[in-house]
Amino acid sequence: MFHWLEKHPFFFAVGVFVVIAYAGLIEIVPNFAQASRPVIGTKPYTTLQLAGRDVYIKNSCNSCHSQLIRPFKAETDRYGHYSLSGEYAYDRPFLWGSERTGPDLHRVGNYRTTQWHENHMMDPAKIVEGSIMPAYPWLFKNKVDLDTAYAEQLTDWEFFGVPYNKPVPTKDGGTITVKMGKSVAESHALALAEAKKVVANMHNQDVKDAVARGEIPEIVALIAYLNSLK
Amino acid sequence: MDINTITAYAYFFLTVFLVVGTYSYIYHLYKNRKDATGVDYEHYSNMALKDDIGDTPVKPISEEKAPTKGDKEK
Amino acid sequence: MENRPLEYDYTVAKMFMFTTIVLGIVGMSIGVFIAFELAFPGLNTIFGKTIAEYTAFGRLRPLHTDSVAFGFTLSGIWATWYYVGQRVLKVSMAESKFLMFIGKLHFWLYIIGVAAVVVSLFMGITTSKEYAEFEWPIDIAIVVVWVLWGVSVFGLIGIRREKSLYISIWYYIATFLGVGMLYLFNNMEVPTILATSPIGETDIGAWYHSVSMYAGTNDALVQWWYGHNAVAFVFTVPIVAMIYYFLPKESGQAIYSYKLSLLSFWGLMFVYLWAGGHHLLYSTVPDWVQTMGSIFSVILILPSWGSAINMLLTMKGEWQQVAASPLIKFMILASTFYMFSTLEGPIQAIKSVNAIAHFTNWIVGHVHDGTLGWVGFMIIAALYHMAPRVFKRELYSKGLMAAQFWIQTLGIVLYFTSMWIAGITQGMMWRAHDEFGNLAYSFMDTVNVLHPYYALRGVGGILYLTGFLMFAYNIYKTMSARPVEESELQNASPMGA
Repeated sequence: MFHWLEKHPFFFAVGVFVVIAYAGLIEIVPNFAQASRPVIGTKPYTTLQLAGRDVYIKNSCNSCHSQLIRPFKAETDRYGHYSLSGEYAYDRPFLWGSERTGPDLHRVGNYRTTQWHENHMMDPAKIVEGSIMPAYPWLFKNKVDLDTAYAEQLTDWEFFGVPYNKPVPTKDGGTITVKMGKSVAESHALALAEAKKVVANMHNQDVKDAVARGEIPEIVALIAYLNSLK
Repeated sequence: MDINTITAYAYFFLTVFLVVGTYSYIYHLYKNRKDATGVDYEHYSNMALKDDIGDTPVKPISEEKAPTKGDKEK
Repeated sequence: MENRPLEYDYTVAKMFMFTTIVLGIVGMSIGVFIAFELAFPGLNTIFGKTIAEYTAFGRLRPLHTDSVAFGFTLSGIWATWYYVGQRVLKVSMAESKFLMFIGKLHFWLYIIGVAAVVVSLFMGITTSKEYAEFEWPIDIAIVVVWVLWGVSVFGLIGIRREKSLYISIWYYIATFLGVGMLYLFNNMEVPTILATSPIGETDIGAWYHSVSMYAGTNDALVQWWYGHNAVAFVFTVPIVAMIYYFLPKESGQAIYSYKLSLLSFWGLMFVYLWAGGHHLLYSTVPDWVQTMGSIFSVILILPSWGSAINMLLTMKGEWQQVAASPLIKFMILASTFYMFSTLEGPIQAIKSVNAIAHFTNWIVGHVHDGTLGWVGFMIIAALYHMAPRVFKRELYSKGLMAAQFWIQTLGIVLYFTSMWIAGITQGMMWRAHDEFGNLAYSFMDTVNVLHPYYALRGVGGILYLTGFLMFAYNIYKTMSARPVEESELQNASPMGA
């Protein structure tokens, strides 16, 4: 039976493939039939938040920080309500991480402020004594890549039907519409308006000046993203 | 029948099939000791031990293609 | 020319041996460096504040994992394929100009791919998915490299003299198919360059950027189906292929049981793929997937141990060889570590254990006792066995090899013991409550407590790297040692003092 296969490489390869593909078919396909649906209160990311998410990915923050709160008392005490599947409906890619060298960030927006992030990114050990997180001063200088973030947003909207410019339900029973620019110029304008709100709570003069000039440093986008994690 | 029921049945029957298949296969291997062409299974280990290009294959794919020591010196 | 006897042609094997060593040194050095960054964060800026962006832990971590997995290990797999493949099929690469060309093309495209990966990861161009960080242009290049290897595998099989495929060949075929399938599905992504804005603008932003085809929980499910099985088909299956050839060959002993190898092969193929769910216990994937992941992880012990026991029993009655030959020592310790980490893995996959172990350094420890002990040692042993035959030289120094063995073994022991303690300490402290039901420790408490273990782990890494450099030196000196007279060497590799 199996031994015959060894003398017939083609059938051998087919046999191996069937056996290894089987698990995937059973485990993954049924789950895809019921596509991941957003829970009430989950809304798509804005251009600036997506740009911040890209900064998060660029620096591999997910190497050390998870975004998945497991349903244990210790975790909900520390980080807030455990994570729900639908909350990740707009996460492409997912950023659960596999290590918690630093704390979980899935709801960091609930308990950290813009100013805290600003100080912390500049010198973590100064804010949290004994922190082993590296300082990220370059985030204050590098300009964020809004074009790519906008292209990403367009892809989400065009290929995956993410509801931009459409009302989505909020937790208090109302609705909210996340705007997406119709053109590159409009998306920049929207992002800049959002960035101005973030820098209002920051004190770094260089960053404030840059935003006033219409340039957005990476740190602003990253903070916008972190604040959206609730 | 929805897809979950189908996968559940498929999963169950494949597992039963594999368990039965594997055990009867083990029984078959140890009872017969030799494969259909009359080679003891354990002789296939020689494929690793006698693997010089001039060594005779355990089971040559065809007689004329198998090089012998004679070919090598030609 | 006509009168030259037919010989195996190791040209491509030599090329991959070279990259195995070079990328091994690169990947392990980065690993040691980032290990110390965790112990001493000041190291993040040791190369100057201006380039700190490129030397920070986050930027380097994917470079470490990818260069050891897809640099060192893949090169090792291919070096051994281009060696073992010819021998057990009893056909020489020299017999087919086409396969020789494919082999070389495979190598050079791989080198280009490696260069692209290194540059892009340094720049922070990543999809963030572990072991699949590459953006779509590199993904396409990787698929091409993979297909070339497939052509080489099936091409060589096509012109074989030995009708039956040896055990190692089964595992190489499984590696080819398994990684191919997993990689394709996990890297499904839409390049953002395809997007058009509502007013019709195109070509927006970076051309290489892409968006994953799957969102959130689905993405996680596919990623860990891939992540777990990439471990299966890169760190397990092809390494089993190696040990099934090199251990019997070096010791001159036939496999303990060919029948057992048949059974454990099919068992491993079926069971391994199911276990991916154990990376997602207590997450938001469906419960039954998690349970299935747990159960199959435990069942996985059987086929894994089937192979490992088969290896150890191959040495039956010949254990004096383990004492006498450092090369056999490497392989026996490798299969012992294989047994060890295939037992440890299922333990961590039990839900209640996973509740403590997940997200901690225990997982890091588990990965490393598998990769350092099993994968690393096996590839080192394979290259040591190949070197005298490929270069037709005596191995430079047996003493150096034995010293390397003990230094690296000590390194591994330091590594996994420190990470075990660190992981369990972390896991227990995170969940500890005081008598009033409040959390007993702040997160920083759990970071501070890890400092000695991080430092110890770094020392373990240095020892392993030192051993690896000794290995590189030994191989280098072998290439310039005195030639061996016999044209083909049987069994035990010749070694200088």
